[in-house]
Amino acid sequence: MKLSKSKKKKLIMLAFVMPALIFYTAFVLLPASGGFWYSLTNWNGLNPTYKMVGLSNYVEALTDDMYFINSLLFTLKFVFFMVLLQNTIALLLAVLVESRQKSKGLLRTIFFMPNMISMIIGGFIWMFIFTEVLPFIAANTIFKFLDQSWIGNPNFSFYAILIVSLWGGVGYIMLIYIAALQGVPNNLKEAARIDGANDFQIFRHITLPMILPAITVGIFVTLNSSFKVFDAVYALTGGGPGRSTQVIALNIFEEAFSMNNRYGYASAKAMILFTIVALITVVQLSLMKKREVEL
Amino acid sequence: MKKLISLMLVLAVVTALLPGFSLAVSAQDQVEEVELKVFMSFPRFRDHFEEYFAEFREQEMREKNIDVKIKLEMPNPQNAEQILKTRLASNDAPDIFTLHAMADIPTFYEAGYLTDLSDEPFVDTLYESVKRTVTYDNKVVALPLESLAWGYLYNKEIFNELNLTPPQTLAEMKETIEVLKSNDHTPFLLSFKESWIPQLMMALSLGGVVNSEYPDFVVDMNNNQASYADVIEVFNIIDLIMENGTKKPFEVGSTAGSADFANGRAAMWVQGPWMAGSILEANPEMEIGVAPLPVSNNPEGTMINLSTSTSLAVSKNSKQKEVAYDLLNFILDQEKSSELFEKLKFNPISTVHDYQSFPWVEEAMSYASKGRAYQDLSIPGGVTDETAKLLQSYYVETVSKEEIIKSLDKAWKDSISK
Repeated sequence: MKLSKSKKKKLIMLAFVMPALIFYTAFVLLPASGGFWYSLTNWNGLNPTYKMVGLSNYVEALTDDMYFINSLLFTLKFVFFMVLLQNTIALLLAVLVESRQKSKGLLRTIFFMPNMISMIIGGFIWMFIFTEVLPFIAANTIFKFLDQSWIGNPNFSFYAILIVSLWGGVGYIMLIYIAALQGVPNNLKEAARIDGANDFQIFRHITLPMILPAITVGIFVTLNSSFKVFDAVYALTGGGPGRSTQVIALNIFEEAFSMNNRYGYASAKAMILFTIVALITVVQLSLMKKREVEL
Repeated sequence: MKKLISLMLVLAVVTALLPGFSLAVSAQDQVEEVELKVFMSFPRFRDHFEEYFAEFREQEMREKNIDVKIKLEMPNPQNAEQILKTRLASNDAPDIFTLHAMADIPTFYEAGYLTDLSDEPFVDTLYESVKRTVTYDNKVVALPLESLAWGYLYNKEIFNELNLTPPQTLAEMKETIEVLKSNDHTPFLLSFKESWIPQLMMALSLGGVVNSEYPDFVVDMNNNQASYADVIEVFNIIDLIMENGTKKPFEVGSTAGSADFANGRAAMWVQGPWMAGSILEANPEMEIGVAPLPVSNNPEGTMINLSTSTSLAVSKNSKQKEVAYDLLNFILDQEKSSELFEKLKFNPISTVHDYQSFPWVEEAMSYASKGRAYQDLSIPGGVTDETAKLLQSYYVETVSKEEIIKSLDKAWKDSISK
């Protein structure tokens, strides 16, 4: 049998992604569809038998579960701040790192480092900073405002979670932007400079449009990861005090593994989370793809 | 060169095989090999149990010629339950596992994961009051390990120094608090980082109120005929504790709390004698007292809570039941058991135990012997978890008493309608 050239090429590409695809199917796709099945049942995670309950889990989650709705709102607030701050800071850092001549490599490593630490451990490190270091600084310097109950006061713990998540996440996005910045052709910038554009104008009208594909990716990644945020919150506040910093993932986790062990109901919530993330990212991607320019 | 390498490889393989080979030979003299999977939520006691199980292996080898390999799994208590449930649900149950006598036995029994142990010899040695806590559906389904005579903890040194005795009524508690405060002692240690700790306040105060004023509360709740509004007095003592506690409670968990309490940062701590080990580790000189929490001005309501927490059960699907039973019986062995329980700082639960119990246990039991004690209330697990969250929120004032009552009523209703 003779394969056409393009078919052969596709087969080769498929062969390359096959190992990843197999693992993805076995450990993500299959369990996820299992989760959908459970979301239609009242299984408690322990009993050998369970009943089908149709869509009632979904109805209950969306109409009769204040804790779920509250955690949804809290997560939305978190996502909003994360998308905004993470990308702005990452872009600023990328520009800063790129503009250095000598310390480029060192700075890049330093900013990226937190990404290599598990967020659970990062959370514990920051726990120490929030509970020991900051009060100590406040007691010994003029920065009295640092002496807050960073973990225990619901108003401050939101910022604590934000700070830790930014610390852990900015480096990765920064790398994406650095790569994009390096791809901006120099001749364009030089031409603009000869035409009399200043640094800001060059950035605004040349660099920014050129790295728009990277911004699409950056926002996509942040949206995705901050909707699913779990470890930073778990390590820092555990969703507390009470449920004041409970994100959706934590709410689902508790529904399934503590409280009344409603595994099926928790699966339904997970499906709702999946739908929300999918919808928002699809809209975001299609909107931003339209504005990208190709050279 | 190639030859040399292959020669070395062959040698390496042969030497690697040797120990396995010799084992296979010795296994031929009719020694039965059995692997027993044991799952315990006791990472802090790993050494003690490993040592004890080694003795069990010797005995089993000597008496029955069985070579028991014990695969001991000791996850962190916070995750243990989830891991255990996953294992049970996926048919990968450990042969022996720990569970909470009050909270878990009903669900686990209904799901069909527990074996009836009523005929095992150890059952006859159990104290009657303890035996009741591990009996379900008229069958003994677990071996109790940790039994508790439980009240709040207080620092005897501070109390003696100020000539205070544990208050027996709410009014006396207020006086005690004033005396402590005027002598620059913080009355209560608050450690709310882990939500199960604030929950203990509710457990104790509800126990006291229910048993002195509304004995049918649990039954009525289960029949949907009562509400937490009927026992609203429980908040009196909770409010008092929260108002007179240490600052920044959400930064202190049980470990940091033990150290703080051991070092006298506060005079009282609503925790339990199960923390004695870590408190004494932080300060070996510490004199721990245990006293019942006053809930009203009726001293009869100031009672010690008797309960059994961690217990050992045998999985229904275990293929090594005989060995598993042997191990359970060995844990309450006539000669060895006392030493183990004493080292673990557990209370005596069986007639085989003849060690001197700790001063704080005796203090708690002295109330019990005067009839000032009750069996732990059987509250649905979901309600306990909900209480934990709500009390955290209550401290930061994001929920009111009325909202707590409403949420707890709902949680209880949900858990019985399930």
